[in-house]
Amino acid sequence: MDNILSVLVFFPAIAGLLGFVVHKDSARAYGITVAAIEFFLSLWLWFSFDSANAGMQFVEMIPLIPDFGVSYYIGVDGISLFIIIMAALMTLIGMMSMSVTKNIKNMIITLLFLEMTMIGVFVALDAIIFYLFWELSLVPMLYIIGAWGGPLRVYASIKFFLYTFAGSLIMLVGMLFVAYVYHNLTGVWSFAITDWYALVLPVDYQLWLFAAFFFGFAIKVPMFPFHTWLPYAHGQAPTIGSVILAAVLLKMGTYGFVRFSLPMFPDASVMMITPIAVIAIIMIIYTAMVAYAQKDIKQVIAYSSVSHMGIIMLGIFAMNAEGIGGSVFQMLSHGIVSGALFMLVGVIYDRRHTKLMSEFGGLASVMPKYAVIFGIMLMAAVGLPLTIGFVGEFLVLLGFYQISPIMTILAGTSIIIGAIYMLAVYKKSFFGPITNEANKTLKDLDRKETWSLVPLVLIVIWLGIYPKPVLEPIDNSVKAMLVFMDEKAITQEAKDMIRVAKSSKGGV
Amino acid sequence: MENLVYIALFAPFASSMFAALFGMSPRQTFVGIVASSLLFISFVASAILAYHVYSTGTSIHVTMMEWISAGDLTIPFGFLVDQVSVTMMTVVTLVSTVVHIYSIGYMDHDKSFNRFFSYLSAFVFSMMILVMSDNFAGLFIGWEGVGVCSWLLIGFWYHKEDVTREENPSISPSWAANEAFIVNRIADLGMLVGIFIIYWNVGSLQYDVVFADLPNLSSSVLNAAALALFIGAMGKSAQFPLHTWLTDAMEGPTPVSALIHAATMVTAGVFLVIRANPIFSMTPEVSFFIAALGTFVAFFAASMALVNRDLKRIIAFSTLSQLGYMFAAAGLGAYWIALFHLAAHAFFKALLFLGAGNVMHAMDDELDIFKMGGLKKAMKWTYIYMGLASLALAGIPVFAGFFSKDAIIETAFNEGTYVLWAILVITAGMTAFYSFRQVFLTFHGDERYKEAGIHPHEMYKFVLIAMSPLAVLAVIAGFFMGGFQEFVTKLLPNYEMSHHTHELIWYLTAIVLVFAIGGIWLAYKKYAKGLKRDEKLENSFVYKLLANQYYIPNFYEAFITKPYAMISEMMWKNVDMKIVDATVDGIAKLIYKSGDGSRKMQTGNLSNYLNWMAIGAVLLLVVAALSAMLG
Repeated sequence: MDNILSVLVFFPAIAGLLGFVVHKDSARAYGITVAAIEFFLSLWLWFSFDSANAGMQFVEMIPLIPDFGVSYYIGVDGISLFIIIMAALMTLIGMMSMSVTKNIKNMIITLLFLEMTMIGVFVALDAIIFYLFWELSLVPMLYIIGAWGGPLRVYASIKFFLYTFAGSLIMLVGMLFVAYVYHNLTGVWSFAITDWYALVLPVDYQLWLFAAFFFGFAIKVPMFPFHTWLPYAHGQAPTIGSVILAAVLLKMGTYGFVRFSLPMFPDASVMMITPIAVIAIIMIIYTAMVAYAQKDIKQVIAYSSVSHMGIIMLGIFAMNAEGIGGSVFQMLSHGIVSGALFMLVGVIYDRRHTKLMSEFGGLASVMPKYAVIFGIMLMAAVGLPLTIGFVGEFLVLLGFYQISPIMTILAGTSIIIGAIYMLAVYKKSFFGPITNEANKTLKDLDRKETWSLVPLVLIVIWLGIYPKPVLEPIDNSVKAMLVFMDEKAITQEAKDMIRVAKSSKGGV
Repeated sequence: MENLVYIALFAPFASSMFAALFGMSPRQTFVGIVASSLLFISFVASAILAYHVYSTGTSIHVTMMEWISAGDLTIPFGFLVDQVSVTMMTVVTLVSTVVHIYSIGYMDHDKSFNRFFSYLSAFVFSMMILVMSDNFAGLFIGWEGVGVCSWLLIGFWYHKEDVTREENPSISPSWAANEAFIVNRIADLGMLVGIFIIYWNVGSLQYDVVFADLPNLSSSVLNAAALALFIGAMGKSAQFPLHTWLTDAMEGPTPVSALIHAATMVTAGVFLVIRANPIFSMTPEVSFFIAALGTFVAFFAASMALVNRDLKRIIAFSTLSQLGYMFAAAGLGAYWIALFHLAAHAFFKALLFLGAGNVMHAMDDELDIFKMGGLKKAMKWTYIYMGLASLALAGIPVFAGFFSKDAIIETAFNEGTYVLWAILVITAGMTAFYSFRQVFLTFHGDERYKEAGIHPHEMYKFVLIAMSPLAVLAVIAGFFMGGFQEFVTKLLPNYEMSHHTHELIWYLTAIVLVFAIGGIWLAYKKYAKGLKRDEKLENSFVYKLLANQYYIPNFYEAFITKPYAMISEMMWKNVDMKIVDATVDGIAKLIYKSGDGSRKMQTGNLSNYLNWMAIGAVLLLVVAALSAMLG
């Protein structure tokens, strides 16, 4: 199956179209089946993936507009492989746990379209195709928040849409400019990212282009101070929306930095290490403090996402294999853990129709299973060793230490302040006596909830103890990228900062 | 032998998982029995390994599998059984086995009996990883693992409500648990930084590689690494200023206090310094800092124990103080003496805590020693055990503490650090005083408990029997000091007293003994006959200062906890909402308003349109002219 990637991209979309003729009572089962098949296909992709090969695999290329060098060009490497699998997994688990009953058919179809756009973004090797999927992904999410959200849903969804859209437009200008420069230098048009990689740009061009791409990615991540759309979006979105948003959509931004900014603008990236690291540290500390001040559990998790994305940003700009590899791993880890945490918040919201911590207290006595799973995810979120959360965070901090010990110590406070807000949430919700009558009769996790959460718990522990199957392909691709960046860099400063691992096998 | 390593390591894990299976079902005695048996198996395996290491003089190194591998970093799950780790393994599993059996009796009436065993065994497993790991990252797994287990166990009675600090200095179990976790995390950051320094300078985290490469490192790197690692040790071993969590941790069930907050986990910091002794031996400044801080903490903690009324808190302060002694020894280079005191302390302190548990059990969870007295009649064996443990703690000859603590005090003299020596000697007197103040107030004098209508009863017999190994060791462990020295100094640098010290040894011992016996005598005079409260003393400034732990918890609350909450609130409401978000919305509004405003241009009136066109043309001309001039 050479065109497995195309299948992965379009199968959910075609199934979504067919979904219109499915009866609404069986829509849910239909959706889960499609998502399960998609997930198994993504696993199949993993098994046929050659871990030793650091380059692009399963490449497909069909010229679309040959005159302008636009083609349907897709492929996958160690960096994107697991994000794709995670997108498929979280869509499946999200659907399994979904408690939405209103317009269920529309929801399922929307989710399947969303899945297409998500996977599309991560397989795209042509900038135009990338941009198409990138923007298309906004539409289903706009609809999910706007149609199934809370009281402020319209404000939140429009804010989400316009804000990220504005950033993407600047990125589009950047892309067009790169293509223009490429045309000037080579005489042909091309939007293929791999062609763009070969382009050695002068430093001032790199800086401008870095800035243009930065706006598109930074708003998506979201980086401080562009993050304020996120709490609204999470606050208003239904559980399933928050799960997908936190687990996958945010990763598009950080993935963009790894896929575009680093290899295309290595000198600019090195020059921007300090500014980006400062923003990342602000994200880590400032939003962790804001998270601590929240009264609503979901808002705590929402702000904690920003804080964790700060760690990921820091790792990307560590310019060594430890940091970048850790960062990519942390994207997966954050996807699984924050997704699970949003699902867990959904569990209590379904029962009590409130997310305010002051309404809870003592839940551990009435919902022990819920408390255990929440506890495990909490520990993964604060980066406990032998959970998935440790590996990435450790590698990122380790990697960045080489750039700046002081900034690493500042960023490392995340292990303290992360514990502060997370333990506060746990204490306020689960510990103490049950003071609220309404909590005394709460039911523990039901079968549906248990079956959707347990796999995530298993992944959290499995990849915490044995991250190798995932880390190895990531590491190979990251090392190759660093070798390539080092060769391509034109300034001495960049050549000094980009650290090629001794164990690298060679360029792309 | 490899299999024994895995058995010693994974038997506690199996125990934890087994108990977890029954975690949500009602109390089952067999869960406790199975867990204790598995722990005993782990102890036997450790003991055989200890014998193996002792008789052959070789260490066993196993690598299970690779854990993390990225860039040039490779971290395996590797375990090392050598003289140091096998000592720790034996001590940990021995005390753990006793505490497990003890808990079957102590947690008898608790509905979360099964859950308790699951946590307790998980703790032992983490502790074993900590001591057995062959690299710094593996040590960190155990380090964090024991932290989480400690969090779970301190907060074991999570359903209790928060109360004011006046009512209960620890506020609530869940509060104390969170405090312990967060304070430890502060120190863990130091530890992580230490790991990073080592990795970027050596390229590996394996002990053997790192220690072999130390001579190639600059002294600033070594100092930074040593200091960072020690900051990590300060958290786990509750050294000033990160000490407040340890006394609050007494909110946990008493077996937990005995195992985690006395015998094992809190000594992890000392273990780290001993394990990484090649680094610390090369950094005399950092080592002296460790010794000085240790000595200070020994005195500082003992002073707070002098006036405390809470049975468990007194013992907790004494743990703190003894940890200070261990750091003093390790900082002065007497690593093997530190390790010996660590082991001896584990035995008699665990015994003391378990005895305290018996008293609590008898007194319906009352902890105020002012409300006890005369318990020796009802609780003869507990009295004997606690008496023995207190004699050992006070450093009275033939008991274990005499040998180990005296050696530390002599080391301070031997190193010529006479100030440290003097403080440690005075502290020894204070230790004797507060230990026996507690023994006399609890077991001697008038039976004040009768006022509360409590009918104390002795603990179950099997529990008392289970405690006996600790009692025996608290008495005899000291006699093995010579053999122990020979055993561990195959790995650790040997430390011998100089000729000069040797000549004075009898005088030195006599001075310490005068202080120790003086302390006991003073306690006897004041408290053995009964409690006579001295209002004037209790209202004096010094007494209040000590009773309130130098107001350090209040200080932390006023200057760290509360401001942090306040700033967080401000960051959210004022900065995030009013500045960052308002700017975004402001820009959006501006665009909207300008669109709305310029809409008025569309009047449909041709002459208006012509006017606008003229204005536009002029503007464009100006732009063109300007760019022509500039370009």
